[in-house]
Amino acid sequence: MSTLTTQQPDIKPPASNKMPSPTLRNRSLKRQKLFYNIFIYTMLIGGATLLMLPFIWLVSNSLKTDQEISIINQFFPKVIQWENYPKALEKMGFVIENGVPHFPALANTIVITVLCVFGQVISSSLVGYGFARYRFRGRNILFMIMLSTMMLPAQVTMIPVFLLFRSVGWIDSLLPLIIPAWFGTPFFIFMFRQFFSQIPESLLEAARIDGASNLRIYFTIMLPLSAPVVAIVAIYTFMFAWNDFMSPLIYLNSPEMRTLALELNTFNGQYGVQYRELLMAASFLTMLPCIILFFAAQKYFMDNAASSGMKG
Amino acid sequence: MTVGKALRSLLVIATLLLCVWAFIDVGVRIVNKRAEMYQPGKTVLTILHWGNTEEEEIVKQLVREFEAEHPDIKVKRLHANDYDTKLKTMLAAGTPPDLFYLRYEDVSEYADTDMIVNLTPFIEKDREKNNGYAMTDDFYPILIDAFRFDKEAQLQGQGDLYGIAKDFTTWIMYVNLDLFKQAGVEVPYDGWTWNEYRAAMKKIRALSDSEDVNKQYYGGVLKTWPTVVRNLLWTNGGDYFGGENRNDFTKVTLGEPQAQEMLNLIRAMRMDDDSVYNPTGISQSEDDMFRRGKIGSIGPLGRWMTPQYRKITEFDWDVVPMPYGTQPISDIATVSWAIASGTQHPDEAYTLLKFLCGKKGQTLTSELGLAMPCMPSVANSDAFLSPGQKPANAQLFIDMVDKSHLPQNPRIKKFTTIVDRELQKTLQLDEKTPEEAARDVAVQWQKEYESPLYNKQYSRMPWMQVIIATLILLAAAIAILWWIARKEKLGALDKAQERTGYLFISPWLLGFVLLVLGPMILSFVLAFTKWTAMSPLSGAKFVGFDNFKHIFNYDSDFTQSLWVTAYFTILCVPVTQVAALLVALLMNVSAKGITFFRTAYFVPSVVTGVALVTLWITIFNNDSGMLNHFLNMFLQPLGLEAPDWFGEDAKWYAMPALVIMSLWGVGGGMVIYLAGLKGIPQSLYEAATIDGAGPVKKFFAVTMPMLSPLIFFNLVMGIIGSFQIFTQAYVIRGSSGGTNENLMFYVLNLYDAAFNQHRMGYASALAWILFIIILVMTLLVFRGSKNMVHYEGLKS
Repeated sequence: MSTLTTQQPDIKPPASNKMPSPTLRNRSLKRQKLFYNIFIYTMLIGGATLLMLPFIWLVSNSLKTDQEISIINQFFPKVIQWENYPKALEKMGFVIENGVPHFPALANTIVITVLCVFGQVISSSLVGYGFARYRFRGRNILFMIMLSTMMLPAQVTMIPVFLLFRSVGWIDSLLPLIIPAWFGTPFFIFMFRQFFSQIPESLLEAARIDGASNLRIYFTIMLPLSAPVVAIVAIYTFMFAWNDFMSPLIYLNSPEMRTLALELNTFNGQYGVQYRELLMAASFLTMLPCIILFFAAQKYFMDNAASSGMKG
Repeated sequence: MTVGKALRSLLVIATLLLCVWAFIDVGVRIVNKRAEMYQPGKTVLTILHWGNTEEEEIVKQLVREFEAEHPDIKVKRLHANDYDTKLKTMLAAGTPPDLFYLRYEDVSEYADTDMIVNLTPFIEKDREKNNGYAMTDDFYPILIDAFRFDKEAQLQGQGDLYGIAKDFTTWIMYVNLDLFKQAGVEVPYDGWTWNEYRAAMKKIRALSDSEDVNKQYYGGVLKTWPTVVRNLLWTNGGDYFGGENRNDFTKVTLGEPQAQEMLNLIRAMRMDDDSVYNPTGISQSEDDMFRRGKIGSIGPLGRWMTPQYRKITEFDWDVVPMPYGTQPISDIATVSWAIASGTQHPDEAYTLLKFLCGKKGQTLTSELGLAMPCMPSVANSDAFLSPGQKPANAQLFIDMVDKSHLPQNPRIKKFTTIVDRELQKTLQLDEKTPEEAARDVAVQWQKEYESPLYNKQYSRMPWMQVIIATLILLAAAIAILWWIARKEKLGALDKAQERTGYLFISPWLLGFVLLVLGPMILSFVLAFTKWTAMSPLSGAKFVGFDNFKHIFNYDSDFTQSLWVTAYFTILCVPVTQVAALLVALLMNVSAKGITFFRTAYFVPSVVTGVALVTLWITIFNNDSGMLNHFLNMFLQPLGLEAPDWFGEDAKWYAMPALVIMSLWGVGGGMVIYLAGLKGIPQSLYEAATIDGAGPVKKFFAVTMPMLSPLIFFNLVMGIIGSFQIFTQAYVIRGSSGGTNENLMFYVLNLYDAAFNQHRMGYASALAWILFIIILVMTLLVFRGSKNMVHYEGLKS
């Protein structure tokens, strides 16, 4: 019955043991514990079910026929339509030519995402390290400015930034979607800065005495130390780049340059949504990598990461 | 464990392989593209169009044939679904596509601002060459007139030619023949009056089985798009505007008896008879209902529905004319190919334009069934009439050409928004009588129309002076900053440190200057201009503070958007934060399997963007959605009904619906609080226990103060985020009727101004007001939280 260890201090037996009969006390304590367990598990299971329902709904709808999807009061498909998935893929631009699979949208999205994650981690950590560990004149002002840019609505700069990228001839290329990540993002810089501030100076001193250069210290000591923050930044950047809709919409022209989010939006075509079951299948496929990534990285995510980055 | 490990390494390998494949694929494509584009001696033309896959295929095929015929020309075909956004950004950037689709409604605007090439001289040249013949002679005259614009008289339909129609359609009704037969209604091939229509609709509605929700039949669907309602008004002698040509845009005539009679009739059929399907909010789509055989007649629609309906196997269908009151009359929907004035190769572009609009293209479009060919010769051939294929009565589309009429539209696009919204309120939501709606349209329109922005003459923006002034101000700002920074004293050794420090932060600094500061300054300057984004920046006009005047005095959407955004923020930020904290507390217990639950609670927050919204739209669907189905199971026994979230009850329920959507992602906030909870030293709780504190007391005396910096941080980010909410509102608005003012978020209003109404200067002004609002809000939160946030636990 000890599914519950006593982290909740209130049900811990009091330190002073002055109860009249130990057996009676134990029994009431056991009962209390049982009720507590039932309560906690009801909450946990109830909440989890509620949160999982939309997923079940999504998958079940993605396996229905075109007719079934609009029938009222029918939750599950009568016959599972697996072929919705290949059809959805095909609608998103997946073709097999001479035995070679082509899926430009996926390839584009992967390239953008990978380069964004890479750039974001490198730049944000570099800048965060700079702010945390070096004294320079204007540091505080610049740091405040950086934090305040978090409040700036993207819409303010959208059109001028577009004009800028056009003037360097990057329209209809993946560069405008990748390069901004290489300049770092205030929020992530902030997280890195908080983390690097906590590292004891002695560690750095030792490295400096060994004659390590600044960049060397950063790459061999600082970056590996900050692995939990790196994980968080990488995951958030991945999710953002993977799902970004507005920037690809503005910068990409040619059909073969489209990203998955854009392809998903083509389902909401000129004549309304026609293939809702395919749209559901495509939505599921699009969100799948994010979900898989989360499961693969949840160790970092759940346990140590958030705390180390978020403090302050 | 080993299975898990094997799985994990398999996943890693698969991911790596996928990445390698992606980089190679993209790399190869880029190299090929380069090679393709840089072919010396070839003229490259860019064309931009929209359309579904089939239409894309047609354009692709035409381009291929054109390139074969003209080996010296290379055509780069661009396709966009969010066409207007795409075209606007290309025009704004000064790189217009050489040829692009241009709707009838947009001709006056583009022609008047010289954005498109006047085609009349080209046609004249053709005539000289070909003994007085030009391709346009083969077209229906009304389609040629549609793309004429008279700059002097500011009238569409006469004057010079600015585009050549690629295809068009007249407006008709699609009918379900089986339902007509079952109800014993004669199919009105020779036309029907509104009274006959109403009687027929009632008869078909009576076929329904009142017991079974899946056996509900409606007589008809009457579309309520502004253009369609206008057409319906025409059939009864009404219109939106008065004047001789119905183009006196100062005079809204929705209140006139003919118009009122029509509107009242539509309302009666939708609400009293319940014979015309009246969906509100997100519910079963009208087109879906027709395709599933639940609707007797749907319309007015054009030819474009035909390919979709040809897939229907369950029942027989055909097309009939629109009902009429005083006279049968049809609008025309048409799109042309136009040449941008920015083109480097007008002659080649014209050759391509002729090819794209030529007989071949017309025939292909006709065979596909998507639209009508612009040439009578093709229209009357089998390519269009396609005997043996539905609709059997295809001739009707052609017959309606003689009864068609072109509307005059005001240049200020806001009118469509106003009229659409007010019509929705009276024709669908039953919030207003047609009389009130007519009055409100007139009042709002007059306000918009009278704004100085549209009536004053402005001079060009003095860019030189602006640039010089900006540079001086920038230099001054940098000097001040430098001077302040100088005051800090650094030792000799620190000089080197300083340099390294700047080196480390240089990526952000560079990005800040290029992508934030520079654009901010430019958008600040733009806030004082009138700029359509269809001309290069040099065409901007200086308007002083008139943009701001318009926002505060003439723009009713501004106040509405502030209210909507505030309502959402006040509701969403506390609810989601409290929920996240509570869930985090729940997740902090150490029960068996808690890691599993943590995962389950977190996973939904991984889903964002378009995928998230499309999923929730189906959940919120009034008819087939999961949520209302469950709610009704509990509410109906109590005599209550689940809300029509984005329809009739949208005023109060649209925001809660969005909050529910946000609550699904509660895991994101939960992780942060969970981390905070784990960071609280156990010793504090032990001390509290010794002091005799109960769980509640402990929560407020230990947990809350220790978490306060996190709560504060989340609060600030939450406020900032909810003021910038866009994707959710954008996608939901699109599927719940287009102009729902209860979803008019601030950023949505801004987006509309920029990309629907092409008012970049105005949008910049809106953006700056948003920035200031967020700034003030954040400062207020900072001020107010000074005594409530405890930092001692987190000093580092």
